[in-house]
Amino acid sequence: MGGKQSIPKITSQDRAILDLKLQRDKLRQYQKKIQVILDREGVIAKTHLAAGQKDRAIVALRRRKYQQSLLLKTDGQLETLEQLVSTIEFSLVEVSVLQGLKQGNDILKEIHKEMNIDAVERLLEETHEAREYQREIGEMLSNSLTTDEKDSVQEELRQLQADIDMEPATDIILPMAPITHPIKQRNTESASGEEGVKVPITA
Amino acid sequence: MSLTTHTTTSGFILPSIHSAPPFFTQQPNPTTQSIATDQWIHLIQAYARHNRLFVLRVEDAEISGNDWDEVLRNERINRKLLPMHLTQILAKMVFSNVATYDPPKQTRSVLLYWRLPDEWAEVLHSWAVSTAQLNTILTFYDITDPPVKSELSGIPVSLLRKAINILVKSGRAQLIGVADGEGVRLFSGGR
Repeated sequence: MGGKQSIPKITSQDRAILDLKLQRDKLRQYQKKIQVILDREGVIAKTHLAAGQKDRAIVALRRRKYQQSLLLKTDGQLETLEQLVSTIEFSLVEVSVLQGLKQGNDILKEIHKEMNIDAVERLLEETHEAREYQREIGEMLSNSLTTDEKDSVQEELRQLQADIDMEPATDIILPMAPITHPIKQRNTESASGEEGVKVPITA
Repeated sequence: MSLTTHTTTSGFILPSIHSAPPFFTQQPNPTTQSIATDQWIHLIQAYARHNRLFVLRVEDAEISGNDWDEVLRNERINRKLLPMHLTQILAKMVFSNVATYDPPKQTRSVLLYWRLPDEWAEVLHSWAVSTAQLNTILTFYDITDPPVKSELSGIPVSLLRKAINILVKSGRAQLIGVADGEGVRLFSGGR
């Protein structure tokens, strides 16, 4: 019976609404009854008139009029009742909207509590410190090279520079840009042959 | 006389067996009788569903001029179902749970289950969902006589109560009682 938990308790509010609705139903049923009487009196008046009993027909019609006025009155009452019921139901909706807002607000507050400005500042500061610390470590590590190592680094640098200086000395034979319009097959064959020669040199 | 189907004024098609005179008399052979009774039950249920009739009384076979005339009598072959015979059919219907004596403890009037109470419960629930009446307090009158006609219009309160009780058991409804009457609140419920 897990479903039982989701069933709300019957409050006095619910009972009041139900009472109102039952009253409304009673009025509706009453109207139905009056409508039946109305129709009946109409028929009676007609038959009396057909039988030539004018005064009795008039009595029936008078009764009919009275019932009609009753019907009008109950219409008014029914309207009031229905308005009341709708108003109550709408207020209930409003209450639930309010509760929703309240809950949302509470949650927002809670989240803000976890995330106050001090904490954010502290967090940022810590991040900053950590970065600073990392930088220091980096510096320390780069400074911890021995003079020998420094020398070898310098040597390597010189070597690299020398390599670069040497490179322009070697003749790089670049392929010539074609000066004629490409002709099918034969031209492409010779072009690929030329490249085949040059690749080893550039490498 | 050839046996043909017959369409009534309400648009219900009576089966050809309804034009067979023996159909209206009790058969001495129990096997034949049982088959005829089954046919009767089938016919009664179909007719009730077609015309949204909820109650069948033995009285309906005794006197004419009611909702069941078209089925319980066949003027074309001058036959009618005898009250005794109907009583037995009703007994079998109650026995096979397609009807129940209502009010209980008598055998002259039954509530027809052309939808079983479980099915009515589903109908009620889906009606409440489709008309957005979940979590609202409804009176029985709201359900049996809604401003917009529904599947549940005119459902007898005793049958409605059964359907509601089924929903209550599965946690999808809640009965509220006050001095003046009763109401029900439906929930979307688990499932």
